Amino acid sequence: MTTLQALGIEAQLPPGFEGRIYRRPPAPGERTYSVAQFASFPLPGTAADFGNGAVELMGASDVFAVLFEYGPESVGRRLFAASTMPRQLAASHFLPTVLRRALPGHSGTQWFFTEAGRPFTLYAVAGSHASLPSMLPRLNKLLAGIRITQLPSRAPA
Amino acid sequence: MLALLIAVICVVALLAVLVVGLLRSHADILRALHELGAGVGDPATNGKTSNEFTETLNPFRQMANFGPPLPAERSDSAPDLVGVTPEGAAIAVSVNGAGRLTLLAFLSSGCTSCVRIWEAFADPAALELPREVRVVAVTKGPERESSAEVAAHARGRITTVMSSEAWSDYEVPGSPFFALVDGDSRRRIGEGVGGYPRQVADLVRRALADREMLARQAAGSFATMRTPASSEVGLNGPAREADNDRQLIDAGVLPGDESLYPTDLQHVFGPGRSDSET
Repeated sequence: MTTLQALGIEAQLPPGFEGRIYRRPPAPGERTYSVAQFASFPLPGTAADFGNGAVELMGASDVFAVLFEYGPESVGRRLFAASTMPRQLAASHFLPTVLRRALPGHSGTQWFFTEAGRPFTLYAVAGSHASLPSMLPRLNKLLAGIRITQLPSRAPA
Repeated sequence: MLALLIAVICVVALLAVLVVGLLRSHADILRALHELGAGVGDPATNGKTSNEFTETLNPFRQMANFGPPLPAERSDSAPDLVGVTPEGAAIAVSVNGAGRLTLLAFLSSGCTSCVRIWEAFADPAALELPREVRVVAVTKGPERESSAEVAAHARGRITTVMSSEAWSDYEVPGSPFFALVDGDSRRRIGEGVGGYPRQVADLVRRALADREMLARQAAGSFATMRTPASSEVGLNGPAREADNDRQLIDAGVLPGDESLYPTDLQHVFGPGRSDSET
């Protein structure tokens, strides 16, 4: 199993998965935080943070997931009250209406939480709502292998 | 007289020592050359180290090659890649998975031959690779390469992984080096050193043709199989010659076969025919 690690995020990638962990260079006056993308298909380098440019390439049996970190000002807010990332998703958690980019057949799920003192959202897209039962074990295996730790310095870029 | 005899014996003994020393030195050199892979690809070596010959006979290790010969002891394993992008992101690229075909281009920012390849990758469509082939550039890690120079070459148009570990995993002998990975079998089906985009396209076409042939053989349809001719897969020079050899061996025509040495035209065209009929 391949291990991908950066910016306080470590992921054990199941076979066939690839990923990218990065922090975008900030524009003047902007702050940026960690983004981790995972996909069961070739992830284009041009994909936007929440998968625009990547989800269009998904096959029916593919899955895409992103962990997007927010600034420390989000810690303690009700939206981020959950204390840990969900690591066992069910088919009932996915809805065709929960998509940043609505594509036929796709369905998605989004969760907000704070783990290791860092506020995140987990957004996952399934290539086919009908195929969820067969792809969920792979996605849950990916989620179970993700570890989030505190960064030595909270200073944003 | 005795003194002359002793002198002759001494000279003969000295010459014997010199000859033995020369032979040992020669053996050491041959051993060292063998370890470096010299002689690989030479049909005269009985094919033990030739990808074009022995690996054709062993379909489970068949691999298309181009460029200078590579040592036969090389692995055909195809591990996933982990490294960083020129922009500093951590990246993992999977080459394994159903239906995946990945062309790994091991390049450096400094080598002259690599410039042509980087420029060709600026417009991947111009390479005329099959659509299902994903191209990934792999340079050594940032401890050995300049991220800024790699970024300038890649220009964000191609997935680029900086990973010295990948160079080690794939036993890269130098750049530019290419490896074509079949995600279904999780192994390399083609590899070689070459500095021209055309060579890369030829490698991919040959490897895919070989893979198709093996799949048909595995399906037991050898009788209906049609192997593309060298002209169809765009080969020339030594690669075309090697491809012809491979096809002859596949057809059961081995070196020394009588049909390779016709004695007259009837032998070539069959009884009752002449060159005027062809």
